[in-house]
Amino acid sequence: MKRISVIASLALVFAGSAFGADLSVPEKVTAGQSLTINGAPSGTLYLFGPNTAMKKKVDGGSVEIEGANLKAAGRYTVTIGGDSATFFVVYDKAANIAFLARPSRVPAAAPGVVSGTAFVFDQFNNLVLQPTQVKFNLAVEGAPPVTREATSKDGVAYVKLDSGRRSGSAQFVASAEGASVKRVVQQVASDPCSLRMKASRGANGNIVVETDPVRDCAGNSVPDGTIVTFTSVDSKGRSTIDARIKKDVAKAEFPPSDSAQLTVAAGVVMGNEIHWGGGR
Amino acid sequence: MKSAKKVGLRYILIALGLLVVVGVASLPLHVFAAVPAAAVKIDASGAAPRQVEDSTVQAIERDYGAAWKSLGQAVDENRPDLLNGFVGSAREQATQLIASQKTNGLHQRYVDHGHKAQVAFYSIDGSSILMHDTAQFEIQQMDGSNVVHSEQVTLHYLALLTPAENSWKVRVLQTVPNF
Repeated sequence: MKRISVIASLALVFAGSAFGADLSVPEKVTAGQSLTINGAPSGTLYLFGPNTAMKKKVDGGSVEIEGANLKAAGRYTVTIGGDSATFFVVYDKAANIAFLARPSRVPAAAPGVVSGTAFVFDQFNNLVLQPTQVKFNLAVEGAPPVTREATSKDGVAYVKLDSGRRSGSAQFVASAEGASVKRVVQQVASDPCSLRMKASRGANGNIVVETDPVRDCAGNSVPDGTIVTFTSVDSKGRSTIDARIKKDVAKAEFPPSDSAQLTVAAGVVMGNEIHWGGGR
Repeated sequence: MKSAKKVGLRYILIALGLLVVVGVASLPLHVFAAVPAAAVKIDASGAAPRQVEDSTVQAIERDYGAAWKSLGQAVDENRPDLLNGFVGSAREQATQLIASQKTNGLHQRYVDHGHKAQVAFYSIDGSSILMHDTAQFEIQQMDGSNVVHSEQVTLHYLALLTPAENSWKVRVLQTVPNF
């Protein structure tokens, strides 16, 4: 009997040393705040966390782990004299935003072409998992802004927006809890909306064709350099000239002809047709 | 004369053999066993607002697994140069951990028993992906060669990845109590 009790005692001692008892620590602590372990044994304290590993001698009783060692959100393990415990450091309040805005250049007045993704972080760059209202604002000077609000989930909020009707540099801003980040989205005129040209006789009898100012459907000037194609068909055949828009208009000259059919196009947009000659 | 030569040759061979044995024994363990990338299984059925293409799932399984493998080696050997596949705050945290382990003569051994990850968010433009990763590990926390704590544990990670030149990189890796 005595032998059995000795074996049992030894087994208990062995089990205790192998697995250790639990330390008394709170389950969660906010990032950057200190933590106190009450009733700790004396010995060497080991702390392992997402961005820290420390070791120090402690006298037991009440042991404090400073907030400076608990900035990264995640799981921590603390061991003192063979006793262990785990706890979680959780994010602090929202303080920073990382903002991805795409694309950097969009056609004006196009539906659903601008996307914004905001990641909400605390002051220690931990993802803030608590749902947070994020405000997205897309604005071009002189035009009413487009504003949307989205609630973050797992620290992420996103929106998909139409581009504004006015071309220019749009300020795309994401803000939450006093933090805000700005990106610039360049809104450029879309394809020409309508195309009109006029024809006149130039020097040496050439046919001079010139468009009216070329604009998109929202009234924005189509960028210089956009190609406008003029075509002339007469008894000698077909001639085509690709002219670039310069200061809102495109211009070209065809050789003299008694009778020609003149057309104009830019991208998928066809302009008016002019019958040159004959009775003119 | 001939037998003396034979004996001499025998000693030389034995000495060479011993040298080989000692040399091989002194090599680190990971030289013998190429540590495979962590097994990662991704379920992208719940991805929003964009669906994840099959090829992207495969690429992330490969890159995320390789990143975990490198993290395991880096925190065991306290070598930040072994860290691959981490950028931003995830890399910063791992680097800080390794530096503080090194300062205190500590290190950690992870036996990675695999990851099951669910895609929670995939951005409209494909520039970021957020996963809920449930992973199983055997962890040994070591002070020199002494184990100060060991456990078998299931951990939950929020992993934010972004694409780089030719692979996905872990930008945020945050353990959470649950999803």
